[in-house]
Amino acid sequence: MSASSLAIDRARRGAWRWPLLALGLAALPGAAVMAEGRGRCVIDDREREICLEAPAQRIAALSPGATELIWAAGAGDQVVAVVSYSDYPPEAQEVASVGSHTRVDLEALISLEPDLVIGWVTGNPSEQLETLEQLGLPVFYIEPRSIDAVASTLERLAQLAGSEAEGDQAAAEFRAGMDALAAEYADAEPVTTFYQVWDEPLMSVNDEHLIGEVVRLCGGVNTFGGLSRLVPRIDDEAVLAADPEAIIAGGMGEENRHWLSHWQQYPGLTAVARDNLFFVPPSLIQRPTPRLLEGSRILCEKLEVARGRR
Amino acid sequence: MAAADLSARTVSAARGLWLPLAVLALAGLVALGMSLSVGSASVAPEALWAVLRGEGDALSRTLILELRLPRSLSAFAVGGLLAVAGALMQVLLRNPLADPYVLGLSGGAAVGALAAMLAGLGGAVISGSAFAGAFLSTLLVFGLAHGTGSWTPARLLLTGVVIAAGWGAVITLMLALSPADRLPGMLYWLMGDLAYARAPWPPLALLAAVCLLLIPAGRSLNVLARGPLQAAALGVNVRPLEWGIYLAASALTAMAVTTAGSIGFVGLVVPHMLRLVLGNDQRLILPACALAGGTLLVVADTFARTMIAPEQLPVGVITALLGVPTFLYLLYRSR
Repeated sequence: MSASSLAIDRARRGAWRWPLLALGLAALPGAAVMAEGRGRCVIDDREREICLEAPAQRIAALSPGATELIWAAGAGDQVVAVVSYSDYPPEAQEVASVGSHTRVDLEALISLEPDLVIGWVTGNPSEQLETLEQLGLPVFYIEPRSIDAVASTLERLAQLAGSEAEGDQAAAEFRAGMDALAAEYADAEPVTTFYQVWDEPLMSVNDEHLIGEVVRLCGGVNTFGGLSRLVPRIDDEAVLAADPEAIIAGGMGEENRHWLSHWQQYPGLTAVARDNLFFVPPSLIQRPTPRLLEGSRILCEKLEVARGRR
Repeated sequence: MAAADLSARTVSAARGLWLPLAVLALAGLVALGMSLSVGSASVAPEALWAVLRGEGDALSRTLILELRLPRSLSAFAVGGLLAVAGALMQVLLRNPLADPYVLGLSGGAAVGALAAMLAGLGGAVISGSAFAGAFLSTLLVFGLAHGTGSWTPARLLLTGVVIAAGWGAVITLMLALSPADRLPGMLYWLMGDLAYARAPWPPLALLAAVCLLLIPAGRSLNVLARGPLQAAALGVNVRPLEWGIYLAASALTAMAVTTAGSIGFVGLVVPHMLRLVLGNDQRLILPACALAGGTLLVVADTFARTMIAPEQLPVGVITALLGVPTFLYLLYRSR
């Protein structure tokens, strides 16, 4: 099977070369028409070109993040399939679910006859996405890992769905909001910040992570930013040794603050002594979607509060 | 006189072999038919029939021929491979607790697969890497148990169990060090899942080939099951036979694990179930294991993908839920 899927891959790549070659050769008046004939093409996050003849009308979003992004890109009405935990926007909960992002019910998905599948590079099983491609479905892989990638994903999704007006506007607003925050906190006093992703095991993020980027943007200095893993696992001792000025935690629910009370047992921590233990709703900061702007605003405000308590 | 008596007994024995196999084959066909006709998307019986005749609309054809059929055939093949491998291991080690994974083969395969996943490599590479891990583990156990001379099933078992424990530690280490976003895929691989199964033909072909090869060896296996000394006294060349069984069981398990991850329970319990019902004649048990193991896994996988659809369950949960009560009932009845 491996050999045959490789052969398909090769055939597919080969098939692309011809139109590209034709375009390259045709430095002729007809070239624009030919480009038109190729439909709407965008590059996905696996660096592959996805082309659709017409805007996608039946879209399957295989992660909660993809669902948020496609809605924000203005194509929510065209979504026919989502996966479990796709809770935002609320309308998404009325769309048919095709299992969870780690295990997609391919049968349910295929019978909804989607014309575009939004896959998640590291979240969906690659075998299942490959099966979908072999069945002839276009799969657009996403993996937004930076602030800019969120905006660019919005634009590319809008292009595939034919909702460029709304999608481009959403992307522009997101970029402008983030730029405004960056400008506001560009000269802010640095605050050493520990961001807690999870409590057992205790996990943080490094500077490569999207949250690390937000902390930096708000004038924070990520305590564990230099570690090599994207989501490093650490222990209380490491936090005590680093003695951050502020501790920011997500939590399991939207209002779950008990992770923070754990730190009260260490009154010697600067963050505890100054009461700089803050909660930021995880859905606003841990998902690479436009709501990240709201989460970033909250995080920046918390760090500003910490500066005021010096 | 004695010759005629013997040939009559052989004939009746042959008849006794065919009936259970025919029943099991029929059960297998029914299970395959059921797995094709149910799923999270509903396909009307007429549509199913049209597809099987080579007609039908594109959507039903895709659902049945591209999604359900390859998966069901893979399930049948993997179930059969694991059950036959389990039966062979139980004969080889003369230990009722032996299963295909007892000598660390699934651990080696898992380390290979998880390493490929950690490196961010895709489907085909994961399968290849899992096979390489299983092969490495087989060689390791083979080499170390063979040692410098004396060799016993107990020594093989201990070597295998210790190597399995070593792999277990490596797996835990890899899970602890892997990025959070890779964890779900790794855990599902470790639980075993037919959603990842690719082409069903390699495992099916291996299953058929090994069953055909084992039929002539059935008598020797029967003797070996009574102990190596008796077997040697009765003229069986024990050492090559034992290594042959070990290599065959390893190849079967490696193929099964490579196809669908490490699905537990089938390899341990199906051979025991069949022995309780059919007696301990390896000429019958081995092909019966292939059919019954395949049937069990096809039924279990059908439940796994439909019970709470569109959510999908790991198939190992269902094999155990179906198998445990059946096995306990048979064991209780056999007292």
